[in-house]
Amino acid sequence: MSVDLKTRAAQAVDIAQKAGAQDAWSTVSQSRDVQFEYREGKLEKVKDTTSQSLGIRIYAGGRYSSHSTTDLTPDRLQDFIAEAVAITAALEPDEYRRITPEALFRNRPTADLDLVDTNVQALEREQRIAWCRALDEKSHQHEQVISATSGIYDGTQRSASASSNGFLDEQQSTYCWFSASVTLRDQGDKRAEDGFYAGGAHVEDLPDPEVVGAKALDRTVSRLGSEKGPTVKSSMVVDARAAASLISRLLGPANARSVQQDRSFWTPLMGEQAFSKKLTIVDDPLIVRGLASRRYDSEGISARALPLVEEGVVRNIYVDTYYGRKGDMAPTTGSPSNRVVRPGDHSLAELLSQVGEGVYVTSWLGGNADGTTGDFSLGLRGHMIENGKIGRPVGEMNVTGNLRDLFTRLELIGDDPYPYSTTLTPSLVFSDVDFSGA
Amino acid sequence: MKRREFLGGAAASGAVLTMPAFISGCGIQQATAVANKTPENPFMDWFGVDQATTAQVMSELSANGADAADLYFQHSRTNYLTLEDGIVSSANSTIEQGVGLRVVIGEQTGYAFTEDLTLPAMLAAAKTAAAIASGSRVVAPQAFNALGMGDLYKTVVPWSDVGIDRKLPLMKFVESQAKSMDEAVEKVAVYWADQDERVMIATLDGTLVTDHRPMTRVTVTVTARRGEEVQSGFSNIAAREEFGWYTEERLNTMVKEAVDRTMVLFDARRPPAGEMPVILASGASGILLHEAIGHGMEADFNRKGTSIYTDMIGKKVAEPFVTVVDQATIPRERGALNFDDEGNKAGRTVLVEDGILKSYLHDTISAKQYGLQPTGSGRRQSYKYAPMPRMSCTFMEDGPHTTEEIVAAVDRGIICETYTNGQVQIGAGDYTFYVKNGWLVENGKATAPIKDVNIIGNGPESLKRITMVANDARLDTGGWTCGKNGQSVPVSQGIPTVLVSKMTVGGENVG
Repeated sequence: MSVDLKTRAAQAVDIAQKAGAQDAWSTVSQSRDVQFEYREGKLEKVKDTTSQSLGIRIYAGGRYSSHSTTDLTPDRLQDFIAEAVAITAALEPDEYRRITPEALFRNRPTADLDLVDTNVQALEREQRIAWCRALDEKSHQHEQVISATSGIYDGTQRSASASSNGFLDEQQSTYCWFSASVTLRDQGDKRAEDGFYAGGAHVEDLPDPEVVGAKALDRTVSRLGSEKGPTVKSSMVVDARAAASLISRLLGPANARSVQQDRSFWTPLMGEQAFSKKLTIVDDPLIVRGLASRRYDSEGISARALPLVEEGVVRNIYVDTYYGRKGDMAPTTGSPSNRVVRPGDHSLAELLSQVGEGVYVTSWLGGNADGTTGDFSLGLRGHMIENGKIGRPVGEMNVTGNLRDLFTRLELIGDDPYPYSTTLTPSLVFSDVDFSGA
Repeated sequence: MKRREFLGGAAASGAVLTMPAFISGCGIQQATAVANKTPENPFMDWFGVDQATTAQVMSELSANGADAADLYFQHSRTNYLTLEDGIVSSANSTIEQGVGLRVVIGEQTGYAFTEDLTLPAMLAAAKTAAAIASGSRVVAPQAFNALGMGDLYKTVVPWSDVGIDRKLPLMKFVESQAKSMDEAVEKVAVYWADQDERVMIATLDGTLVTDHRPMTRVTVTVTARRGEEVQSGFSNIAAREEFGWYTEERLNTMVKEAVDRTMVLFDARRPPAGEMPVILASGASGILLHEAIGHGMEADFNRKGTSIYTDMIGKKVAEPFVTVVDQATIPRERGALNFDDEGNKAGRTVLVEDGILKSYLHDTISAKQYGLQPTGSGRRQSYKYAPMPRMSCTFMEDGPHTTEEIVAAVDRGIICETYTNGQVQIGAGDYTFYVKNGWLVENGKATAPIKDVNIIGNGPESLKRITMVANDARLDTGGWTCGKNGQSVPVSQGIPTVLVSKMTVGGENVG
């Protein structure tokens, strides 16, 4: 694309205004994504793509709509935006639908978050294949391997935004991920399966592919002979990787939309000691090289660290401009960035030792939660904790309860945050949890 | 000028419509299924590329050798509307247009796509995809033989012809019906989606397939309050249908479901935890088949040996009254397809016949490896993705029992009625689904409502434990979407009432 992204975004805003919009906010995105997959010593799939799209939010006559297209041919884009403005007129007026006020983006940070690694952009086929080989070799080092698939996923994402009230900026980031998944022959027709993956904005932040391959195999080997665990009320230790998804579920309804729509168990918790004093969560978009770092969000709101929960007290939730206005809440940001759970000072081994007996969860299988009430029920895989140590592998079990209630019984926190996630969470320990199994 | 107006160019045939129609519907112009005629010249009419260009790109794509290769042209427009707090103040429309280029050699796949449908951009993408191979050029077709369009979802009035002015009153109707059904209903939200999608698939063997795929879904969410307690529930309906499908009766049924499902939550409790008999009510409980067997029968997992079903073809896996089918040819179903996304004719695949495991779901790659014909199960989310074996509409046929007999046979267990999601581990066979609403069964009778429990089981074990199957099979009307390896596709599912003699039910108050 010859014209730069910022110019394209600004041109789209201009077209919208000429077509009758009072305000408009446009974002042009471009990405290059490369995927190499390798299986049993052979390259299985290569995908190499360049993609582009334009999104625009239109504010006209007290009305609002949003649109996106991958067809950026100039004359058709012109028609598309003119149509978008016309569609907006067919909707009902809503006083809360207004463009992001300038005050919310005026002083956005200028710090360099170091999100671009030119080494990622310069990656060659030979390097990717060498990494695949390393992953593949390590993940096959077991006689029961049926199949193991390795992958390298890398790319660059760029986006530029322009608005009718003076916003003009762009963000860019690179990513590179290693992944390996392994299937081992187990009892009867059963297969044990697991994997591991690691990624970051910079190649130098990744572990060696050999480490990822070996870890994938280790995790899978530990699943061999897994059986259904017991129906029991006991302590639950959630490993750091699985804890990230539990924290995501907890935070799922912690936003202005859910609160304004009366579908959030967080509604009565603002300012309250809602959870265990061990729990502190910050949304921090300004982590250097962070996987979800940014200087502004999708509405242009300036990035800043946002305390969500401090020692169990609810301080903030995610508030975008629309539901904020409608629900009388000050905007924070409508979309999560890096969510950081403050670590404790115990190693995983210490946590297991302190717990003594219980269930150690390494991954979830399905399940859901009701955001209105916090009631949840999740399938799990893991191990029994026996005499303070990791014991026999178990699966085909559920854990059931209420999220708010569960997090009042957060007893201990590990010192081992899982780094390859936008939710940075250490291992967590809960007491008196209901498990169902055999 | 290689390219023509994509939608505008088709105005002459009346097949597709220009943009002002979106704003104010022009009503039914002609009651003929114009939109489903094979376009005179799909290359130009639909995608503004000519046949010679397509042949040239195919030639570049197969320049280093190919067992199979295809160009997947796609244009889709999706419209969304949101009603909250009594007004429709948000609309979204999304256009996705591009071509996916794939070359297959044995089990190896090279893939690229471009949103720029000019010759230089398509040739560059073809070169990229072709880099997977290192053999010699194969003969690419100079002309393509266009197959006739299927008729599973013939369209009289395409969505591009239906304006917002016609959709708004229906959304308001849904809202007012929900509010009038119970005074505890506090908030109602209505979410509308409709989609017109056109695909054109050109293959290395010279076949050309075109398909116009409509889709629509309406969801209603209800929030109700009793004192301090707030509960919410939802219902939705979806199909490859057009505007006229939304009758008052159909919408009323959906609204009543949503309100009933919400109000019952005030009295619902968690069941006891542990193993127990589970009755799956007819319809949406087809989620059992999707998770417990459907995914495990997708042939990509089996050709790699990673599925628990890898060595089970021809073996007895269930009682003789259990027959499980995946069928893409049920008209207007959300999972229906005339052709799959590799250009193969979609069809009916019997997974389990009278208790015997019969066939996997194949795409071109797996079928070749097994020496079989593809089952028309190669699907993809969009031009951005390579296809793989997927389900379409998965269901179980009627059995010899009645629902009454099944409930009467259970001393202590549960009935599952509505669901939100499920998941499976292909190798271990463990699968789960989340039950939103159900009933406790005591001494052969449904006694009290239950809510929010996950159910977990093992696929082959659960199939063996299907001890009763009723004669009330029906397909669910909900808008299910299946995710696999990062790709989402629409699917349908159905089942008669069945009894699984033992599953693990999530629950509270463990002693």
